[in-house]
Order: sequence, then structure tokens, then C-alpha cells
Amino acid sequence: MAELLFYLLSLGAIGFGIGVIRTHMPLYSVLSLLGTFFCLAGIYLLAGFPFLAATQLLVYAGAIMVLFLFVIMLLNLGDRDELNRQTGVALSGPRLAAAGICAGLLGLAGLIAAGWGGKVTPTEAVAAGGVDRLNDIAEVLFGRYMLPFEAASLLLLATMVGVMSLAKRQRGEETEAGDTGWPWHKGVEQ
Amino acid sequence: MSDLKTLFDSIFTASASLATAPILALGVGLLLLLLCDIVTPLRPARGLAFVGTLVVAAILQARVLFANSAPGLVLDGTFLADPTTALFGLSFLVGSLLAWLYASGYYDEERVLATEHDVLFLAAPAGMILMVGAADLLVFFVGLELLSLPLYALAAFRRSRADSVEAGLKYFLLGAFSSAMFLFGSALLYTAAGSLSLSAIAEHGLASRTALAGIALVTSGVFFKASIFPFHMWVPDVYQGSPTPVTALMATGTKAAIFGFLVVQLMPLLPPSAAPMIAVLAIVTMFLGNFGALVQSNVKRMLAYSGVAHAGTLLLVVPGFLAGADPAAASRAALFYLVAYLFTGTGAFGLLALLEADGERFTSLDSLKGLAKRRPAIAAAMTLFLLSLGGIPATGGFLGKWFVFSVLVEAGWTGTAILGVLFSVVALGYYLRVIVAMYMEEALEGEAAPTTNRTGATAATAVCVVGVLATGLLPALLLGPLGS
Repeated sequence: MAELLFYLLSLGAIGFGIGVIRTHMPLYSVLSLLGTFFCLAGIYLLAGFPFLAATQLLVYAGAIMVLFLFVIMLLNLGDRDELNRQTGVALSGPRLAAAGICAGLLGLAGLIAAGWGGKVTPTEAVAAGGVDRLNDIAEVLFGRYMLPFEAASLLLLATMVGVMSLAKRQRGEETEAGDTGWPWHKGVEQ
Repeated sequence: MSDLKTLFDSIFTASASLATAPILALGVGLLLLLLCDIVTPLRPARGLAFVGTLVVAAILQARVLFANSAPGLVLDGTFLADPTTALFGLSFLVGSLLAWLYASGYYDEERVLATEHDVLFLAAPAGMILMVGAADLLVFFVGLELLSLPLYALAAFRRSRADSVEAGLKYFLLGAFSSAMFLFGSALLYTAAGSLSLSAIAEHGLASRTALAGIALVTSGVFFKASIFPFHMWVPDVYQGSPTPVTALMATGTKAAIFGFLVVQLMPLLPPSAAPMIAVLAIVTMFLGNFGALVQSNVKRMLAYSGVAHAGTLLLVVPGFLAGADPAAASRAALFYLVAYLFTGTGAFGLLALLEADGERFTSLDSLKGLAKRRPAIAAAMTLFLLSLGGIPATGGFLGKWFVFSVLVEAGWTGTAILGVLFSVVALGYYLRVIVAMYMEEALEGEAAPTTNRTGATAATAVCVVGVLATGLLPALLLGPLGS
């Protein structure tokens, strides 16, 4: 039963993942991403990590999705032709071939790993030291993995600064009346 | 609760704080820099905050180097701090300081974002130090991202220029691809060994195919960043499009950090049977880099191809080690090569940045013609760097190549070593072409003479010249702390 659920959820995650890049409507893309997140949360739950599943739902499916939706609405990206003109997303032969080769290689690596390396079922993973108590997670995060955990905060800060430096309009660049310097305000009715 | 206390006491020891102090210093300095930007009276102190942070971090790093007993593996075996990683750390700090010196005054229109630029320049060495010390795949990954994300932003820093934006986007997309490969490999290794710690993975061995597939993907991810064939395609475009001081940091610092991890941590995990394959990859990389460089008319792009060739040369250390050379000699050779390349590469790219910042684009071979008459000092320094890149004796580049090839000879791979030397001769062809253009050809009509003169760049060039000569003439200075 658990195995069947696992495969169903995995298929769902992959299917939604394809949906994210295949649809022409940004809104559908975001909703597909939401589906992927839900499936992943289900897999975490199956593997015996309820806390991780809850975090996944709260942070990704909750907060981050809302952010995505906000951006889409602010940029007014609902128009399909508009987006096509901007990015020209289309499946051509070479692109399809490249994607197929990549997916094939990754799938092969996965098959090799799963087929000959011995399968690890979710229950075994828990028995092998899975953590599902908050205390255990805290112990690992603030003990053994203190350094990468703290470095990740530095990483987020640096990324934020980097994004700022790319997104913020500088003095000297052409500015229009009512322009606040942020690209998403351009063209918005004041 | 008491068992938690004993657990934490066993993890957070005095040697752990000694080992991680440089990263902590960089983090604090980064925050201080942001604070200086917000508080108006503190604004003029930004340069001081940047240099001060690097100096403090370097002092803390030197403490690890000269400690009576090196901290070794700390934080529950996730981070390694010994003389080798400390020397790597010091070289990263010196490298970003040099690149930063070249960057001051390089940008004309982007002055508004000076603080953002400096913050990103501080985050990158923190990531590099994490990478080299990483004894756990998770630590390495966070370090890799901490290095890469600032560099993506820095590559696209001149947003008014299309090639800069293209470089940033290309670097980002391919970097994300290599990260995904690395992560997939880590997941497979975790499945096999039940741990992300490199010592646990080594203990488990590579008997299972899961582990083998995992280590192959992890190594591919690392090779991607190190620009080894077949993952070298992005290098010329990214190096050419990025602002030149950023290219200097990318070419020297990133390469040093990636190879540091490869040589110090990852190399012992690889199966000896991989030696011929890696040797072939190294040779093909050298071939593509050198022959790619031969046909370039843009000096910056030529130096980018030369960077690929150097990565290939350095990679030869790995098969040498796997075929049975002394591990200490192999890591010493890699360290020496990288430090020498740090001074040489930074100097060469930096001088291009100095010439380029004059408003015109002084990166084509034609514009360098007759430079010796117009700017004799710059031409002389450039000549020294190019000779060191080509591996002429009395420079650091020569000794670096010498050490790498002697590792191969020690392992009994004399034929491969000879092939490597032959490629170095090919490399001299394009380095000498630039020297000939600077000294023996007349300036083209209508080419404006570069007139830039900047204190920071001059100081950085002086340091690079001293560094190239010191590594070439007094290698004991660098190798002494390693106890050779």
C-alpha cells in the first residue's frame, strides 16, 4: 500500500513538474508547481518525516506560492501571447532531443542505483535513523550541521544582495515619471 | 538535558572555534559593511571595513596555520582545518583582495552599487573556505552555493552591457545544472552509505553501483565548476562577458576552491581504476584549451581558454595520485600550482581590467600593439605574467607545472607527463604572440593610447609581481608551513 502510494505520488510530482514547464499560462505553471510541492510533502510523510512534510506545505505551498502569485499579478503576465512574445517558449526538435538525452541519462543513473544497489523502502529509512521528532531535528541542525546551517543564512543574505544589485535600477538609467527604481513598477498605472 | 549538553560540549570545542573563526569574521564583516551603507556618516568607512574584514579573516586563518596542533576534523567531523586548508584559505583571502583592488575604479556607471559589489566580494571567499574544508557533502554544497550565487550576480554586474548579462545568465543556468548533478550524486551516495560525511562514504566503499553512480555524478558536478572537458563550454563566454576583475576572481579563486576540495577531500574517495579516464579528460581539456586559445584575437578570451588549459594540467595530479604517487606530494603540487596561478592569473586579468577601464575596450590583440612604448611598466608586468602562465623558469608557473609533472613521473606515467609538457610548448605560442605584439609591433593608427593610472590596481600589480617571483625563486616560503 505504502509502495503504491509512493509511486503514485512520485508520478504526480513528475507529471506536475512537466506541467510547470509545458504550459503557456504562468498561472497554470504556478498551480502545477503547487501540485509538485503537495506530492513531495506526501512522499516526506510516507518516509516518516511529518515535520518536514508540514514545513514543506507551510513554507513552499503557503508562503512562497503566494509570493509567486503576487509577482504574476503585479507583472500582469496572464496574457498568453504576451509571454510567448517575451520568451518564445516552444518545443523544437533539438530542444526535445536535448531534454530527452538529459532525462534519459538521469533516469539511467536512477535505474542503476535502484536496480542494482538494493532498494531502500521508506520504512527501512526510518529504521536506519530517520528523524521525526522536532528535538531530533534541532539536535542535528544546531549540533553536527551548525556550520552549514549558519552558512546558509549567510548564503541567503548574499543572494538577496545579489538580486538587489541586479534588479534595482541605477541612477543614470532612463527613468520615467513616477518610477520608483524597481523594474516591476515600470508601466504600472500610478 | 544533560546529555544534550555533553553532546554540544563535544561538538563546540575550542579547536572548532579556531577552525571556523575566519568564516565567522567574513560574516561579521559583511554585516558591518551593510551597516556602513545604511548609516550615512559611516559611508566613507566602507573601503576600510572591506579591507579590515579580509585582514582580520587572514590573521585568524594564519592562526590555524601556525597553531601548535592543527584543529583537524571539527564540528563532529564535518569541517577540516589543517595547514593545507589554511594555506588555501589564505590564498582565497589574498585573491579576493587583489581582485577587489583591480575592481576599484573599474566601473564607471555602477558606482551607486559599490556596497553590493563589496558584500558579494566578501561572501565569495567565505564560500571558498567552506568548500576546501568541507569533510561533508552538505558543507561543501552550501560553500559552493555561497561562492557561486555572488559570482552569478557579479558576472552580470554591468547590466547596461549585453555580454555581461549574457555571461551572468549562462553562468547561472549551467551552474544550476551542475549543482543539480552534484546534489543527485550526493543523494545516491547517501542512499548507499547512509551518511553524507566523506569519511563514512570512504568507509562504505564504492562496491555498490549506487555509490559508484553517486561518486560519478558528484565528480561531474565538481568538474563542471572546474571547467574540465566535456563541461568547459561555458568558460570562454562567461569569462569574456563578466567584468574583468570578477573574471580574475572566477578564474583563480573558484578554480583554487574547487581543486582544493577535489585534491584534499574528494581525490582519496575515487577508485584507482578511474585514473586512466581522468587522465584522458585532463589531456583533452588541455588540448581544447590550448588550441582554442591559439586562434583567439581577443586577449581576454584567450586568457579564458588558457584557464581551461591550466585546469586540465592541474587535473593531472589526480591520476598521478590514484596511480600511486605520494598523497602529500600530490596535494602540495596542487596547492603550489594554484597559489602561483592565483598571482599570475589575477595579475594578467587585472592588467586587462586596468587597460580596459580607460573607456575603450583594450582587450583585443590589436589594441595591445606597441604597448611597451606607451606604458612600459604595464607591458613589463604583463610579460612576466604571461611567461609565468607559459611556464618559463624563475616564475611560479614553471615550478607549479614542474611539481605537477613530477607527481606523474613518480607514479610512473612518464608518457602522460611528456604529453603535458608538449602542450605547454603549444601554450607558449599564444602567450608569446601577445608579448611580440606589445614589444615588436607598432601601434595601429587611430588606436587611443590607454592612460589609466589607479593606485589600487598599481598596488595589486606590485603584489602579483612579487608573488610570481617569490613562488618562482623561493618556493620554500610557501611549502615551509606544510613541512615538506
